[in-house]
Amino acid sequence: MEDLTRVRFTNLDKLMYPGLRLIKKDVIEYYIRVAPRVLPFLRGRALVRTRYPDGVEAEGFYEKDAPPGTPGWVRTHVKYSKSADRDTSYVVCDDLDTLLWLANLASLELHMPLSMVTDTSKPDFVLFDLDPEPPAGLGEAVQAAVLLREALDERGVKPYVKTSGRKGVHVLIHVEPVHTFRQTREYVHGIARELAAMHGFIVSERSQTNVPGTVLVDHPQNSERSTMVAPYSLRAVREATVSTPVAWGDLPSVRPFDHNIFNVPDLAEDPWRDIWDEPQDIT
Amino acid sequence: MSVLKGKPSTRSVWTGRISIGLVNVPVKAYTMIKDQSFSFKYVRRDDACPLKYERVCTLDREVVPWSEVGQAVEVRKDEYVVFSKEELDALRPESNKKISLRKFVPLSQVDRVFFDKSYVLAPDKSGDSYGLLLKAFKEKGLAGVGTFTLRTKEYPVLVYHYRDSLVLTTLRYSDEVVDPRSYEDLGKVEEPSREELDIALKIMENLTGEFDSTEFKDTFKERVEELVEQKMKGEVIAVEEPETEEVRELMSALRDTLAQLQKT
Repeated sequence: MEDLTRVRFTNLDKLMYPGLRLIKKDVIEYYIRVAPRVLPFLRGRALVRTRYPDGVEAEGFYEKDAPPGTPGWVRTHVKYSKSADRDTSYVVCDDLDTLLWLANLASLELHMPLSMVTDTSKPDFVLFDLDPEPPAGLGEAVQAAVLLREALDERGVKPYVKTSGRKGVHVLIHVEPVHTFRQTREYVHGIARELAAMHGFIVSERSQTNVPGTVLVDHPQNSERSTMVAPYSLRAVREATVSTPVAWGDLPSVRPFDHNIFNVPDLAEDPWRDIWDEPQDIT
Repeated sequence: MSVLKGKPSTRSVWTGRISIGLVNVPVKAYTMIKDQSFSFKYVRRDDACPLKYERVCTLDREVVPWSEVGQAVEVRKDEYVVFSKEELDALRPESNKKISLRKFVPLSQVDRVFFDKSYVLAPDKSGDSYGLLLKAFKEKGLAGVGTFTLRTKEYPVLVYHYRDSLVLTTLRYSDEVVDPRSYEDLGKVEEPSREELDIALKIMENLTGEFDSTEFKDTFKERVEELVEQKMKGEVIAVEEPETEEVRELMSALRDTLAQLQKT
């Protein structure tokens, strides 16, 4: 075991998703299998984890810092944290071993910032977080995503889409890290307002969050301190869903729970294969 | 997929005949099930002196020779009824060297939980009548039901066609098999919700496959043999923490992923 990884796995038979009888071994195996697809998104970023040491039916907790006992080989990034008023060292997941070490800590959910540690103020992703308010659900979020894609298409911008693994949909644009978060936020806000003006069920302001049956384009998510659930991250819900990149053509037929720990590792196509090769121009 | 890899025996465990009405077919039975579990010899740890078992009187600690050993039933605490060899022989079923098949049934009608051990029935002496019987079983597709005495015990058995041979499978008696419903825990099973059931069904669908007997392997014996070789060569053996099944599965997934990461 030492030859293949530096991680010492512990309590592998601990129940993580009790409803599905999934144990920690299943979670680690999942991350092993999706590692080639998930690692490119984690590399060079200060990762935030949601850990569930006692499984998804017990309390979980957010973790930003490198926890006590972090092995020396794990890359950390030290930064002054305004909220904590001290230097904080963050975990940067650059390699498979770090990913497995995190999985062994029951870090079910992996959340990535939209910028890299090299310059956290300059995002390389623009995020349209489409958040439905009941009775609107995934179907409405998908509808909003399709309309958003048309709007971006008219601007000559190529977006990528993933499920959030819950009810929402994330539409992303990969850009060169040349803009500030204020700029990307305004960009998202501008398009959101445009869509909201044309389509009654789309709203663009957080003050409208609770309007039933609407889909909020949550532009403030584009900030240095915000994070997005990483592509291929598990979600801490009973159904063990996964935030999954999908092809635009497949999006309209996506149903809740379609993508989960059982079938995502076997997906043959990577609809986001070209995302890194084509940074988009949003000016 | 079933792959049968046991080594054939050189000696049969039983000879006799199958009888159906007036037809008698001489057969011999070979064991079909070869237990490959590994067993260690017991020795004194310091000098590897092999140990043997002895029958010792629990009262005076004297060793009792086989010639003085009898069999008994404990009727109350410390009270025994002793049987003589003759008495026991009279009780035991007569080994009449015959498998009488009295009835023919579809194999699927016999609940598989009754199946115990299987034997290959091969022709003894002339193969003509065996060939006839085999062909008849093959064409009819039924299993013969009867009894069979091996050593001192009588078993209900099935005889049927399997892979161009007649196979005999001993069955358990009715009072040897427990009905799952007689366990109280099963009375407490709760009805699942539709959503839960749908998830479970979906998972099953995703995992539906074909049974392959070669997926399973008892690796304990192999590892012991490897270690024996190393020890004989005088190698120092580093004791590793035993890898659990879970760790092994993770390592196998890890190898695949590492190979994939290397390619890109």
